[in-house]
Amino acid sequence: MSDDKGKVTDKASEIAKNIWLAGVGAYGKAAGEAQDRLEKAGVETPKLFKDLVKAGAALEEEAKDKDKGKDKESPKRTASSSVEERISKVRENFSLTRPSRSDELSSLHAKIDLLSNKLDLLTNTLTDQGVIKVPTTRKKAAAKKPAVKKATAKKTAVKKAPPKKKAAASSRAKTKKRQD
Amino acid sequence: MKTRDRILVTSLELFNAEGEANTTTIDIANELDISPGNLYYHFKGKDEIIRELFQQYELALSDTLTAPIEQPLSSDRNNVEDNWYYLYVVMEEMYNYRFFYLNLDDIRHRYPDIRKGFRRLIQLKRAALFAICQTLLQQAVIETEEQQMLGLVDNMTLTLTFWFNYDQLLTEVRPPQVTIHQGVLQMMTMVAPYLGDEQLSFYRDCESIYATMLEQSTPD
Repeated sequence: MSDDKGKVTDKASEIAKNIWLAGVGAYGKAAGEAQDRLEKAGVETPKLFKDLVKAGAALEEEAKDKDKGKDKESPKRTASSSVEERISKVRENFSLTRPSRSDELSSLHAKIDLLSNKLDLLTNTLTDQGVIKVPTTRKKAAAKKPAVKKATAKKTAVKKAPPKKKAAASSRAKTKKRQD
Repeated sequence: MKTRDRILVTSLELFNAEGEANTTTIDIANELDISPGNLYYHFKGKDEIIRELFQQYELALSDTLTAPIEQPLSSDRNNVEDNWYYLYVVMEEMYNYRFFYLNLDDIRHRYPDIRKGFRRLIQLKRAALFAICQTLLQQAVIETEEQQMLGLVDNMTLTLTFWFNYDQLLTEVRPPQVTIHQGVLQMMTMVAPYLGDEQLSFYRDCESIYATMLEQSTPD
């Protein structure tokens, strides 16, 4: 920070900050008058600018002081407390609409538990009634049936086809034999 | 409620709904079901009503805006979210008096005193957002250089001030809560690049709430 370059940028940012603070300071009670003066006399600007920087800096100080020595002015205190109230109202609304991932997850877990319980109950009753002997075999059988049908269909198709092939093959064999 | 107060409340409603330029004192009297003479007894024309409404607005918003300047909204990193909720409060307040913003140039030209008042309010908005960002910086919620932060504050002030105009230009009439939520989200979007992971998750929640709101508000 001791080199020249650092100093220059420091100064530049200090100026920029002052300009900015001047703006912030311009809102105060004197702002109306200050603005009038600005409009009337453009020449006065430098002095006015200084005033505004002061006002802005004072505002910052004021904010800091108030933070330190709390509870000085009662009417303003109520203003900020009403802001606090309204903030908490917004917070409440927000928590209602806010998607809480952990909640969603736990509700999903609960659903899964419920479903698996029901499944157990169902398989138990079915076994008791003798509809199924072992739950897993029933599933397998059901799954197998269509597959078996398809397989047989294919088999018949295959069965039908071979004779021709055989014939063709035998004829070919015959010709081969002849050639031999 | 006193007639005077009723006139103010009804005027505000009409101005917000129909636009200030499209509303006459006759309209206001008709809406209230009182005679124009009775209205004239309380207010000598629309100008007086508008000035009174602006006074109300400036008082209310100034109170709200000085809160973060007086005292940080969040005491530590645990309730940082209060800063975002605060933006809702400010936007809701602005929404109640949105007719000023929707016809800003016209009103500023017609009422020099309101023009000054508006300048005060804008500066106060900057000061409030500046205070918030400085708190966030001190509590290490955001990481930025001072100059960047001043730019950030101005961007936020700009968005805050003209959000309703932008929304009105861009979209059809939407439920106010969608407009306000998106406005807050927009301001957070500007802060987002400087946020740490912890606060970023809150930002994501805001995004998903917005998505749900859009879903609910668009008729299928």
